[in-house]
Amino acid sequence: MPKVIRDLSDSSSYWAAVWTMCAMPDVHVICDAPIGCFNLVATAVPDYTDAIPHIENITPSVITETEVGGSGTGPAVQRTYENLRDEGILDGKKLIVVSTAESEMIGSDLSDLVTKLQPGTTFFHSESLSDDEWLGRDRVLQWLWENYGQAAAADIQVEPGLVNIIGPTYGCFNAPSDLHEIKRTIEGAGGRLNLIFPYEATLAQIAQLAKAQVNVVLYKEFGHTLADSLGQPWLHAPMGMQGTTQFVQKLGELLGTQDKAQAFIAQEKKTTLSAIWDLWKGPQSDWFPTTNIGIVACGTYVDGFTAFLGNELGMPISFASSRPLRPGELDNEGVRQLLHSNPPAFVFGSINEKIYLSEAGARYTNFIPASFPGPIVRRAVGTPFMGYRGTVYLLQEIVNRLYEVLFNFLPVDSAYSKGPRPGATNGASKPAADKPGNLPWELEAKAALDAALDQLPFLPRISASREIQMQAEQAAHEAGLEKVTAELIQQVLATRKN
Amino acid sequence: MATDTGCLYGLTFVTHFYGARKSILAPQLGTSELMAGQVVEGTRAAIEVAAKEPGCQLIPVVSLCVAETAGLPEEMLPKKIGDAEVVLVRVPAYAIHSHPEAKDVALAALLKRLGNATAPKEKKTLALLGEVFPADPLAIDNLLRQMGVEATITLPGRAIDDLRRAGHVGALAPLHPFYKETTAVFRSWSIPVVGGAPVGISGSYAWLKAVGSLLELDPKLVNDVAEAERARAEAMLKAQPLSGRIFVTGYEGTELAYARLLVEAGAEVPYISTSIGQDPLVLPDEMWLRARGTKEIVYRKSLEDDVAALDKYPPDFVLGTTPFCAIAKERGIPAMYFTNQLASRPFFLSTGMAATLGFINQTMKGHERYQWMQSFFEGEAADA
Repeated sequence: MPKVIRDLSDSSSYWAAVWTMCAMPDVHVICDAPIGCFNLVATAVPDYTDAIPHIENITPSVITETEVGGSGTGPAVQRTYENLRDEGILDGKKLIVVSTAESEMIGSDLSDLVTKLQPGTTFFHSESLSDDEWLGRDRVLQWLWENYGQAAAADIQVEPGLVNIIGPTYGCFNAPSDLHEIKRTIEGAGGRLNLIFPYEATLAQIAQLAKAQVNVVLYKEFGHTLADSLGQPWLHAPMGMQGTTQFVQKLGELLGTQDKAQAFIAQEKKTTLSAIWDLWKGPQSDWFPTTNIGIVACGTYVDGFTAFLGNELGMPISFASSRPLRPGELDNEGVRQLLHSNPPAFVFGSINEKIYLSEAGARYTNFIPASFPGPIVRRAVGTPFMGYRGTVYLLQEIVNRLYEVLFNFLPVDSAYSKGPRPGATNGASKPAADKPGNLPWELEAKAALDAALDQLPFLPRISASREIQMQAEQAAHEAGLEKVTAELIQQVLATRKN
Repeated sequence: MATDTGCLYGLTFVTHFYGARKSILAPQLGTSELMAGQVVEGTRAAIEVAAKEPGCQLIPVVSLCVAETAGLPEEMLPKKIGDAEVVLVRVPAYAIHSHPEAKDVALAALLKRLGNATAPKEKKTLALLGEVFPADPLAIDNLLRQMGVEATITLPGRAIDDLRRAGHVGALAPLHPFYKETTAVFRSWSIPVVGGAPVGISGSYAWLKAVGSLLELDPKLVNDVAEAERARAEAMLKAQPLSGRIFVTGYEGTELAYARLLVEAGAEVPYISTSIGQDPLVLPDEMWLRARGTKEIVYRKSLEDDVAALDKYPPDFVLGTTPFCAIAKERGIPAMYFTNQLASRPFFLSTGMAATLGFINQTMKGHERYQWMQSFFEGEAADA
């Protein structure tokens, strides 16, 4: 049985190449692409992933039927190059030609052609038909080093105290905030920042990667191959209180700045992290054991949220699904079924999970964006998930949303007099107040109520139990029943689902 | 959706941004599946999963570059599965160069399958063709009923039944000029087509008259309604005339119609560009505009075409694509994304004119804000 994708979560390595290379202003990319491939990656989507109007340093070869039909894409790329050259757009820039799924589909290999374009032009075969964006980013970072850095780096000496950050590229969720916090953390531990590659680097600077004593790789998904090639010790960027503390200590050891690192940790506990200590001592932390969490995000975030929210704060992790998917995890089909049947109190995810929750009418579940796809602006640097500040931001977000839940769902008698009365079976509705007192419930009816409540997140159960009870008794009155029957409660529950 | 993962990711991303909010299925089409020739098999598997969704009646199969290059023969796909119709829509970007034209191809494919061509025609009914603001068809329907039209349907509609009923109508009125294949489907059903669109004063007047004569409505009644509408439109224009130089440079295929409205309202529109190709359907608008001062109309435009025009005819306001608007804003020129801002407002007849022109007038009044932003970030004040 061939594999069917439900709501794709990961883009392709062609996107990875564009989003990595074009972050550097002294690069110009010609993508060997039909117009749609170009529009999506360079203008339509980065509006909503990175909040930029468009990626300026990329031009498509515009594959048409002529190229697909047999002429190949060489002449189109040549033409595109000549136009760019004549308009002066390539002045002071290095040109890179990148393959796409369609150019690979028609077997277009431009390794020879690029030698006839502007000197130094290279061809990157993006493997777009087989690799995803994560693998693609890892490969293109290494490729950039090999083609634009390694040779010149032979003469460069390592300078003690300097630290590189490898990643992010365009299309990395929350990157500006996380990067900002990791820079602060590195400096706190006694390091000095060298190259932020590729986000804040130029192609001409790539050899400078060799100067750093330590490399910090922002994501577990990509950048490690390059970090290994650079030959210096390297660390993954941290999440959670323990993870961040260990990171600062380790970086201090590697740089020989242990004292500074230790002082930073002590100072952070008194400042940044004091919010967590206070919320822990306060009534807020009492909710943690009953606040369950689902996570769909890059593996870095899945591990970080699991460590911090799960292990450190004690929130039950209902499920986690990494991008890219790890063996044994729920795929989108599985996540969808779970969110339809038993959604947790919080779901971190992409627009896919948001759609599944809306399909299920899961109004008791809080959705927190944590992954692409999905339009979002995350350009404020005060919303990190990584580092110490990330822990405070995450916890603040969760507690504030719990307050929202209280506001929306705690029982308020006046709220029940409004709205339709689910389960009404005839037009002659009598107000429930006509018949005061509790109606008897069949045991099976009570069991059905309990089972339905069990599917809801903890806090809203209080209001939901009262709401369902009132709806069922109202329906019983209207149907002229003397008790709430199992059949009636099923009808009421079915109406609530719609 | 039969395509590679990059394409699938981008298209579903944009689809959801514009509110589709529907789970989307696709066959995995990577190197190994393509090498093994599993495009058909994979697509069939995705169709089977889709058919299991409760209440599923229609499964459009959108075939894009990679699947089209590999080959996806229609006869290898089921026509129907359970209660659901399966309709193949072929829209590879290498052959269909703009999304308006892809909308046309998609709708034509759906109509060919679902439209009932042999049904007796309901003479005094009209199909309105084009993705428009939801209130627009209501306004049009209201006027048409006053003229004696018995019913209208809008395509692409909100219900599958609208596609089925399309074969019954007395006439077709394309509101946008790029529905070439869809119009051909209606012609093949012997359904006559109304030219033009109810845009602006003269356009709306002529269009109402054309509908009246095509559907053989009472000429006196039609005339009364058309005259009254013209009077309303003229009064509206008098109340809020436009001035200044405006560019209309979107990629929706409706740019010429919008430009026409702006010109009628008093604006100067020297430059218009669009993503669609030149076609006889656009020609009347093109001629009308050229006769009223439009100097350049670029079909299948590139960003470079638009930027060149920015130097040539410095505008007071730009309605354009996102990259072009960004460039205009870098120069302190008020600019808005044509797709998001105009498609979310009524446009047709006098009510549409009022909404569209009111919005543009209001935006142009804010030009100082655009200049302030530009000078704050990049002008003389940037380093202060």
